[in-house]
Amino acid sequence: MGSDSDSSTSSDDSTSQNPNPNPIPNSASIDQSLDAIEDQLTSISLAHPNDTISDAAASSSSGEEVFKDAPNGSILEEENHKERSEGEIVEEEVVGDVEEEEEVREGSLVWRRVNSEVDVDRPSSPSSSGYAGERGSSIGGASSGSGIEEIGEDRICDEAGNGRGEFFDGASDSQAPTWVPGKRHVDEDDASVSWRKRKKHFFILSHSGKPIYSRYGDEHKLAGFSATLQAIISFVENGGDRVKLVRAGKHQVVFLVKGPIYLVCISCTEEPYESLRVQLELIYGQMILILTKSVNRCFEKNPKFDMTPLLGGTDVVFSSLIHSFSWNPATFLHAYTCLPLAYATRQAAGAILQDVADSGVLFAILMCKHKVVSLVGAQKASLHPDDMLLLSNFVTSSESFRQVQVLPYFTISQSYINLSKRKTSESFSPICLPRYNPMAFLYAYVHYLDVDTYLMLLTTSSDAFYHLKDCRIRIEMVLLKSNVLTEVQKSMVDGGMRVEDLPIDPSPRSGFSSPHLSQSTLATDSPDRYREAFVGIGGPGGLWHFIYRSIFLDQYVSSEFASPINSLRQQKRLYKAYEKLYASMHDKGVGPHKTQFRRDENYVLLCWVTQDFELYAAFDPLADKALAIKTCNRVCQWVKDVENEIFLLGASPFSW
Amino acid sequence: MGLSSVTTVNEAIKFCIFDLKRGQHEGQELDKILFFYPTDLPFSEQLSVIGLSEGLITFTRIFSPEAACEVIEAEEHSHVFYEAEPDIWMVMIVEKSKESEAIWRIDALRGVLKEVHSLFMMFNGPIRALLDKEPAGGLIRSHLYTFIMDYLSDFLVGKKLQLPNFRDSLRERGTVQMLTIGREAAIEVQSLVRQIESSAGNTPCYSLILFQDLLVSTTLSPEDTINLFTYAVLRLSPRALPSAVSSWSYLRKGNVSSHAATRSISANSGAVLDQFYRSHNSSSAGDPGYNVARPLQPDKWTKGKDGFLVSGIWNTEAGSSTPTIPTIWLQQTGERMYLCVFQHRNLTLILLIPVTSIPNGEQAISVVKQQVLENASVKIDKVEEKLSKGWGGENAYHVSGYRYLLVDGDKNVSRASPPTKVTTLTKESLVALTKLREEVDLEKSRAKWDGPDQDKDLEISIRAKNNAWVIGRVTRGKELYMVLEKANETLLYASDAVENFSNRYCNGTFSLD
Repeated sequence: MGSDSDSSTSSDDSTSQNPNPNPIPNSASIDQSLDAIEDQLTSISLAHPNDTISDAAASSSSGEEVFKDAPNGSILEEENHKERSEGEIVEEEVVGDVEEEEEVREGSLVWRRVNSEVDVDRPSSPSSSGYAGERGSSIGGASSGSGIEEIGEDRICDEAGNGRGEFFDGASDSQAPTWVPGKRHVDEDDASVSWRKRKKHFFILSHSGKPIYSRYGDEHKLAGFSATLQAIISFVENGGDRVKLVRAGKHQVVFLVKGPIYLVCISCTEEPYESLRVQLELIYGQMILILTKSVNRCFEKNPKFDMTPLLGGTDVVFSSLIHSFSWNPATFLHAYTCLPLAYATRQAAGAILQDVADSGVLFAILMCKHKVVSLVGAQKASLHPDDMLLLSNFVTSSESFRQVQVLPYFTISQSYINLSKRKTSESFSPICLPRYNPMAFLYAYVHYLDVDTYLMLLTTSSDAFYHLKDCRIRIEMVLLKSNVLTEVQKSMVDGGMRVEDLPIDPSPRSGFSSPHLSQSTLATDSPDRYREAFVGIGGPGGLWHFIYRSIFLDQYVSSEFASPINSLRQQKRLYKAYEKLYASMHDKGVGPHKTQFRRDENYVLLCWVTQDFELYAAFDPLADKALAIKTCNRVCQWVKDVENEIFLLGASPFSW
Repeated sequence: MGLSSVTTVNEAIKFCIFDLKRGQHEGQELDKILFFYPTDLPFSEQLSVIGLSEGLITFTRIFSPEAACEVIEAEEHSHVFYEAEPDIWMVMIVEKSKESEAIWRIDALRGVLKEVHSLFMMFNGPIRALLDKEPAGGLIRSHLYTFIMDYLSDFLVGKKLQLPNFRDSLRERGTVQMLTIGREAAIEVQSLVRQIESSAGNTPCYSLILFQDLLVSTTLSPEDTINLFTYAVLRLSPRALPSAVSSWSYLRKGNVSSHAATRSISANSGAVLDQFYRSHNSSSAGDPGYNVARPLQPDKWTKGKDGFLVSGIWNTEAGSSTPTIPTIWLQQTGERMYLCVFQHRNLTLILLIPVTSIPNGEQAISVVKQQVLENASVKIDKVEEKLSKGWGGENAYHVSGYRYLLVDGDKNVSRASPPTKVTTLTKESLVALTKLREEVDLEKSRAKWDGPDQDKDLEISIRAKNNAWVIGRVTRGKELYMVLEKANETLLYASDAVENFSNRYCNGTFSLD
C-alpha cells in the first residue's frame, strides 16, 4: 500500500542517492517504529528480481533496512521543523496551518500501522479481478490510507528535490521514492479557507453535478460546489455555447466537457490555458484507462448515475498523475523519454520483446519508472505517448502491482528471492488505452523485475495470463543473461545528459562513448557532494538545462538538472517556463512558430522548432544571445551524436 | 423601430452595464440592468447574460476575492468584464465567428470599456452618483443609453459594429499621441499656454493644445489629459469637425476596418440612432422627459466665426433654451470645468475654467474668449505656423523597415507606425503579434498582482511561420512591439534591428547594455 511503496522505495532512493537522511523526511513520518517497517518489509514485496541481480543492486537493497531505520527515527523532530519552513514554496501547501497538519499526520501514523497489519492479514486482496468495478477494493485501501498522510508530503518532495538537486526527473525519481500519492486534505471543503487557497484544484463531476473526484477535500462534502460547477457549464451550454475558461486575477478556471463527464481545473499556477486543458484531457484519459468510455452508457441509462464506486480507491492514480503535471515534461510534450542505455543493451531488450510480440502480444513494454527501456508493438499497432504516460502512471502509482498477491488465479506470488526474503508479484489487469481504443479493455500483465523496472505485456485476450506469464519468464531470463537489468540499474544511478558535459568541440562523432553513462558515478552517489562539486557551473554559454524532442520518434530527452536549478522549487519554475514556451510556440491559431527567444528575470529561453525536432533550452538570464545560439546548435549536435543511446530507434514493425 | 434591422445584424456583439447592488429580490432582477445593447434583445435574454455574469463574479470571488471575473472564454464568444465602479460592471460579449476578422485581444476590448466609462464620467460624473441622485434609475439609464450609443456609432461599419481586433494590435487605446517638437517651438508653446491660461484673470485654468490629432501641450493630470485628448480626437479636432472632408488624421486614417468607413456612414448612422433614440425614449416605460445632453453625438460641433467651436449639444440640458456652455468633470480634482475650444487651422486649444470660480457663466466666458482672442491670437498664429513647418506629415513617425508600437505606461503616451503602413502587414503577422501581446498582457497583470513594485522585464522574439519576426519588449514601464516582415532569419539580426531602433528612437531604453 501507499506506505509500503514509500518506505521501500524511498529507502532505496536514499541508499543510492544520499546517505544524508534529511532529504527523505517522510519516511520519518511513516515509520516511527521499527516494528512498523519490519512488518511492511516482510509483508510486502520489495521487488528485486532474482538472485542473479547485480551486486550493486543487491548490496544497496540489503543496506536499505539498516540505513533506513537509523536516521528515520532520530531525525523526526528536525524534519517536522524543516517541513514547516519549507511550506511556503510548495505548490499545494498554501497556508502553513501547522497545527492542523500535525493532527492529521498523527492520524496517518496510526492508520499506517493499522494498514500494514491489514495487509498482512489480508493476503488475498482481489487486486486484479477481471473487471473494473472491483478494482477499487485493492487499490482503494492503499489510497485512502496514504492519502491522509500526504499532508506533509509535498514538502518532502521539495526537500528531496533540494537535496538531490540534479535530476530533471528528480521529482520523477521522487515520484516513487518520496511521493505518496493519494487524496490530501480530506477534511476540507469549499467553506474552508485553506481549501480555497490551494493553488491547483482538479474536479471531475457528472453532467448531473454529482462529484466524482476532487484533488482536495471530500467529494461528498463538495456536492454543493460540484453542483455550482455543473450549473455554470450547463448555463453556458443552454445559451448554445461551451465555456472553456474563466479568468479572475491570478486564477484560471478551465472547463472540459467529455460527454456526460465534466472536468474542471481551478488554478493560480500561471500555467497557460492550453496546458491546463491538456492536463484535464489527461485526467479524463486516466479515467478512461480505468473504465473505458463505455461508462457513458451508464449515464445514458441513468443520468444521476453515481460513478464514485467505480473509481473507488483510484485516488492514488489521479493524484500521482496530477503530481506529474509539475515535473514530467511528457505531460505537455506528448512524447516519452527513454532510459539512457548502450545501443546494444537496448537492442538486446528489444529483440526479446519483439519475440513475444510475435506470439500474440499487442504491446510489450519494459520501463524503469517513467522511462522506457524498450518497447515493441505488434504489427500496425501503435502506441500514443499519452497512453504510455497514463499506463505507466497507472502501474507505478498503484501499489497493488508491486505487492505480493496470493489470489490463486490472477496473481501468483513467487518464491522468496534473495536474503531479504523479497517476493515479486505479477498482476493481470484490464486497462483501456484511450488513444488506442477508448471503447475496449485490453489486458495488461504487469511484473516488477526490480524496484523500479517493470514489464508490461498487453493483450486483447482476457485469458492470456498463462501465456503472458511464460513470455515474461522468457523475457526475464534473457534480460538477466544479457545483463540488461544491471545496465538499467546502472543507468538509473548514473543519470542522463548533463549540461556540463556538452562537448566544446562539436565533432566527436567517432568514439563518443556516452559521457553521461561512463562518468560521474561519484557525483550521483551523493547529491550533496554533487552539488558542491558543480555549484554555479551549469553548462557552457550559461546553459542551465535543455529538452530535445524528436518529432519522428515521439521521444524527448531532457538534461539532468544542474546548478543553479537545484531546488524543486526552481525545477518547478523552469518546468512551468517550458510549459509556457511550448504553448506559445504551438499556438492553435498561428503556430507553430519557428524560433522563439524569451528573456525575463529568471531565464533566457530559446526554442527552436523544425520538422525533425524541437529544442527547448534554458540559460542564465544574462547569457549572451550569440553564444546561446551557438550552444543550442552544439546541443543538437550532441544529441544527434548520442541518439543511439538516449532514444529508442528503429523499433521496427512499430508504426508511429 | 428604426434600428431593429441594425441591431439584429449586430447580434455578434452584446454590451451591458449592471449594478449588483440593485434588484436583489426575486422578480426585480431587471432593475440591475442600467444599459443593454442590443436594446431590442428580449428581457429574458438580457437577464440570462447578467445572470451568468453575476454568477461568475460571485463564483470567482471564492478563490480570488481581490479580483473577480475578468473574462469568460467560451467556444464561440468572449465575455470581457470591467468593474467600472464598485459593484457596477460593464460586460462586453463578442462573437468569435468563423469570419476571419474576429480575433480579439481581451485587453484591447477592455480598453474600449474603460474608455467609454472614462468619457462618461468626464461629462456626467460617476454612474453611482447619478443613481444616488435618482434611485429609480431612469436618469442614469437615459444618460448611459444616449452616451454609449453615440460612442458605439464610431465603431459602426455599414450596419455592423466593428470593435478593435488584431488589425489594431499596433495601437494602444487609452494613451496619448504626442507631436515631437524642437526646443524653440517648445518655448513658444509654453508661452502660449501661459497666455491662454491667464485669459481668465486670476482664476486657475487648465489647457490642452493639439496639433491635428497630436498632443502638443497639457497642464492637466495624466488621466484627465487622456480623456480630454480622446474626446478632442473624436469630436473636436479639425478632422472631426463636420466641415472637414479629407483632412488627414494621424490616428484614424487608414484604420480601414473602423474609422475610415465611419465617417462616410456616420451621418447616416447618427440619424438612425437619433431615430431610435427618440422611439426608445418615447416607448420606454420610464420617463420620456429626460433631456440628455449628448456630447458624443457626431457632427454637432462647428467652428464659429471667431474661431471658437460651438455646439448645440448642451442646449437641451434641463430644458433651457438659451445656449449652455459645455462642462466636464475633472477626474483628479472632482472639479467641474467650463470647456472652451478654439481652433486655428491645425491647432486646437482647449481651455478649462472652473465653474465655481465664475458665478455668471455665460457672460464671463465670453469675456474670457475675448481675452484669448486679444492676447493670444498672434501667438497662436505663430505657433501654428511653426508647428506646421516642422511637421513631417502623414508619415512623420514612419521608420522604414519597421512596424512598431511604443508605449510609455508611466506617461500614458504611445507612438506607432502610421496606420497606412501597418496595413501592409500580412494577417499572419498581425495575428501573431496579437497573440504575443496577449501573453505580455497576462505577464503584466500577474506582475501587478505580485506587487506594484514588480517591474516586469521581458523580451520575446518570435519567428513566426510566415518568417516574420514578431517582437515584444517590456522594460521599466515601457513597452515596444514590433513586426519585421522582411528581416533576415537569424535571431541576432532581429535583435540588432531592435537595438538600432531603441538607440535611435527610444533613447536606448530597450538596448541591452
